[in-house]
Amino acid sequence: MDNSNLTSMTKDKIKQAYIEHILDKGTQPESVYAFSKKLKIKEAAFYEEYTSFPQIESEIWKGFFLDTITTAQDEEVYGEYSVREKVLAFFYTWVEVLKQNRSFILKSYEGFQKPVYMKRNIQLTDFKVAFYDYINELVLEARETKEIEQRPLPQITQRYPDLFWGKTLFILDFWINDTSKAFEKTDTMIEKSVNTAFDLLGRSPLDSLFDLGKFLFHNRRI
Amino acid sequence: MNPQDKIPTSKVARATQFVKAGVKVGGNYIKHYSKKILDPSLSKEELHKDNATDVYETLSNLKGSALKVAQMMSMDKNLLPRAYTDKFAMAQYSAPPLSSPLVIKTFRQYFGKSPAEMFDKFELKAENAASIGQVHLAYKNGKKLAVKIQYPGVAESISSDLKMARPLAVQLLSLNDAEIDRYFKEVEERLLEESNYDLELKRSVEITEACAHIPHLFFPKYYPEFSSNRILTMDWIEGMHLKEFLETNPSQGIRNQIGQALWDFYDYQMHTLRKVHADPHPGNFLMTADGRLGVLDFGCIKVIPDDYYQNYFALMNPDTLNDEEKIQKIFWELDFLLKEDSPKEQALFADIFKQMIRLLGRPFDSHSFDFGASGYVDEIYQFLDFISKMPELKNGNSARGSQHGLYVNRTYFGLYTLLNDLKANIRTTKPDWVTPQHLKGELV
Repeated sequence: MDNSNLTSMTKDKIKQAYIEHILDKGTQPESVYAFSKKLKIKEAAFYEEYTSFPQIESEIWKGFFLDTITTAQDEEVYGEYSVREKVLAFFYTWVEVLKQNRSFILKSYEGFQKPVYMKRNIQLTDFKVAFYDYINELVLEARETKEIEQRPLPQITQRYPDLFWGKTLFILDFWINDTSKAFEKTDTMIEKSVNTAFDLLGRSPLDSLFDLGKFLFHNRRI
Repeated sequence: MNPQDKIPTSKVARATQFVKAGVKVGGNYIKHYSKKILDPSLSKEELHKDNATDVYETLSNLKGSALKVAQMMSMDKNLLPRAYTDKFAMAQYSAPPLSSPLVIKTFRQYFGKSPAEMFDKFELKAENAASIGQVHLAYKNGKKLAVKIQYPGVAESISSDLKMARPLAVQLLSLNDAEIDRYFKEVEERLLEESNYDLELKRSVEITEACAHIPHLFFPKYYPEFSSNRILTMDWIEGMHLKEFLETNPSQGIRNQIGQALWDFYDYQMHTLRKVHADPHPGNFLMTADGRLGVLDFGCIKVIPDDYYQNYFALMNPDTLNDEEKIQKIFWELDFLLKEDSPKEQALFADIFKQMIRLLGRPFDSHSFDFGASGYVDEIYQFLDFISKMPELKNGNSARGSQHGLYVNRTYFGLYTLLNDLKANIRTTKPDWVTPQHLKGELV
């Protein structure tokens, strides 16, 4: 018990020191050795927690995500939301969390390979895994509430979480470059793009058309 | 569940109409630029013409209020820029209402609290949508409240929306460039003010308190503690809109009483406050069966500058028309007549403006005026229609008339139209200096 507490303390300490370093110096520490020395911990102690600096960043991004989920779910009405509204609430809360850490994020973002929604960035690995767990659950819920239509090709339906991940990165990119007051344009972007996504994923004229086509096809063959 | 299910069909249809116009206009641009590749000398003239036609077609296809706007546009160019921008705002924002998470986010952003923490009860689904925001119903300490929330990004988009509207206005209204610049600046200022809820709150409180003494008039109370730059909270007031009210067949006495309250309200604002609720369209007034008038929405307020006030109301005094020297002086000061006019043009314009003033000032020429019986408002519209078609005015290269006139005239047209719909016979009170001599003689 004591031991694990100690471990997470070291972990938090490293994380905090890393953020401070990035904010103050604007660059990654020169080496793990120099960084550990400044922190007055053994280099080995560092490697017990993290294997590299990007891995710390990955942990931080995941931290933002977990904060977002907790805050969003704290809202009294969250339980009554439709899935569409839950996704909206997630993004609005997320950009709020990001706003509080904008300086760090801008620095971290500089190190990303771009365009972010095309490339794999190891800084986002942990966030991505957690996000997929979260969105998979929502997609299942949406299927039950009929907000998302089950498409006949499973290949399409399986891609839905990817679609939302892509949207997340797109919103991130938009927000980073947003110069409007209080990032109002990002809000509008979230509102419009999430609504569009759900309109496309929900039952649409195309589904009816496909259904009709299937019916005609079968009946001609009989 | 889904907010979009709740949009009335008419609204969906309306939005579709605008989308159609948008697609057509987009098509016109593609057409223009592909032609331009072949012929670089091509001017944008043709493009603007195409656009204007398509938008006008769309507006004419719309029913109800929008159709009225389209008709009004051709009647009085002064009315248009505003009507036009309203439609623009609607086209852009009539789409889905704000989602509940965004409503909550907006509250958190401005108050640090969710609406559920601030009010005893808060309806997350909007009751109705306005051009730049939506209205929610809330309860606090047993009071029913209306909470207006502005769409994010509206304020920023006003200037660019107006820029888009500009070429259309040029074509549609045959306004000349100088006029457009002048009017658009005025419209932009008003719209920017309208998107500033802090200012609206301040003015609402100020004007409603100043007008509290006027009989048969009532206002919602405003709540600064629940208001911010993007959120405005006031009492939810009950009453019928003009159309519903008229369907109840109110008696002549009740209609006169409401008409009188309306006249007194504007009389006091014009002459005493010199700040006027410049948005007298039926949606901003609620009427009760016992003949009281509720006034909403102080977003659009025109502050009337002193020199403009003096000149404008001097014209409304019928005595002034007999004083040729004075009237010439006023015409020059209000930019009705311009240096570049030839003597012949000067005579022509002076004559037209005198006719117009005689017509608009008619209610000021007696102690009481029956807005119902005379067909007076139709006469005004016909006259405006006539002058808007006059080649001398249409083809001029300069702006005629003060830009302040845009909203003052709009206010009077709106007021006269409302009184006409009410068929009210009222005492047309006015300050002493606007009253013609012959009325001062007879004591009533």
